[in-house]
Amino acid sequence: MIEFKGVNKYYGDFQVLKDINLSINKGEVVVIIGPSGSGKSTMLRCINHLETITEGELTINGTLVADKKTDINKLRRNIGMVFQHFHLYPHKTVLENITLAPKKVLGKSENEAKETARYYLDKVGIAEKADAYPSQLSGGQQQRVAIARGLAMNPEVMLFDEPTSALDPEMIGEVLDVMKALAKEGMTMVVVTHEMGFAKEVADRIVFIDQGQILEEATPAEFYANPREERAKLFLSRILNH
Amino acid sequence: MDFIGAYAPDHLTFLLKGFWVTLKVAFISIILSFIIGAIVGTLRYAAIPIVSRVLAVVVETIRNLPLLLIIFFTYFALPEIGINLEITYAAIAALTVFESAMLSEVIRSGLKSIEKGQIEAARSSGLTYVQTLQHIVMPQALKRMVPPIVSQFISLLKDTSLAVVIALPDLMHNGQIIYAQKDSYIIPIFLIVAIMYFIVNYCLSQIARRLEVKRA
Repeated sequence: MIEFKGVNKYYGDFQVLKDINLSINKGEVVVIIGPSGSGKSTMLRCINHLETITEGELTINGTLVADKKTDINKLRRNIGMVFQHFHLYPHKTVLENITLAPKKVLGKSENEAKETARYYLDKVGIAEKADAYPSQLSGGQQQRVAIARGLAMNPEVMLFDEPTSALDPEMIGEVLDVMKALAKEGMTMVVVTHEMGFAKEVADRIVFIDQGQILEEATPAEFYANPREERAKLFLSRILNH
Repeated sequence: MDFIGAYAPDHLTFLLKGFWVTLKVAFISIILSFIIGAIVGTLRYAAIPIVSRVLAVVVETIRNLPLLLIIFFTYFALPEIGINLEITYAAIAALTVFESAMLSEVIRSGLKSIEKGQIEAARSSGLTYVQTLQHIVMPQALKRMVPPIVSQFISLLKDTSLAVVIALPDLMHNGQIIYAQKDSYIIPIFLIVAIMYFIVNYCLSQIARRLEVKRA
């Protein structure tokens, strides 16, 4: 469904992504891990064209993301995105945050959009906060609203960019639970995270990336038990041994 | 100081007439410069290849000229190239040109103050650039822009007094005519002129404060 073929990306002279080859199938949960600055977020952001690729081919269901002829807005309808810092719209209520895109992009009626929004709010466990403003919510609640906002577009794939990194430790669980439930329902997910527990439990595949290169691609069981790459071993030992 | 003589009914009516001209010129200039400033500020923010560059040059040029020079220009220089404006229109034109440039900068920086993440969130949900501007960037930016916009309106209202140099019959100008009759009128007339300017500007800033509290 998502296909990277020889993708390179440069910022000036600096190469952020080096010859990325990766294909993600429908219904798969792929977790991307790696040290900070390794290019994992950049790689994720290329998928919905928040970042442009310099060379290579990146396709979603056969459509070239970076092609000038591609209607990027149309492509993005199908790709939900959840950010590290939530980015809820502070001037809109929770319900308005969720209904905006379905109304403006999909042309849904107010009622229809609200109904969908309430359904997903219920799903992420905060139906009672529909009329609150984002500033009145905790970080964990805000992130769950952000997930509901992504789901309300009924996307084929959800991208998560370090969704729990900005959260207080006690709120990480509630967000991960929502994500786990989503994964079990068969949602295609690409997740950049440092949550090893989540990766182990939910991921179909782990992609380890360092200095812009994919160093290892394996199932969680293989990866944790027996990382092939030295760099991956070092990384794992650093984050697992405290 | 001759307060009684200075505040004779005729004088007060004359001052009020001038005050009315001040308000009229200021009001029209505020409306026009807000509209133009909003359009220019947004176009510059949107970084449209050639348009934004050209506008940047124009805005920077105007912003770095004294308003007085622009007023002189509209009244004395424009007729030389065949454009004759009545005093009132010349004043409105000069103020509008100058304040549009100032306001466009206020609006541009207000738009720019909205975090990139807001735009990314909106765009990644499939909203177009224009929809994102309309539903996400502008409403949030407007809230932040109210105080600087109103202070720009206030300085515009005060700047109308510069149009005395082209004899616009405004509050300042009519005040001058009255105190030119007698030295003992000078202080009383300055006082009442100051009070009139103060009252209307103070009201403006109070409205702005209300708006700020309400929208916060």
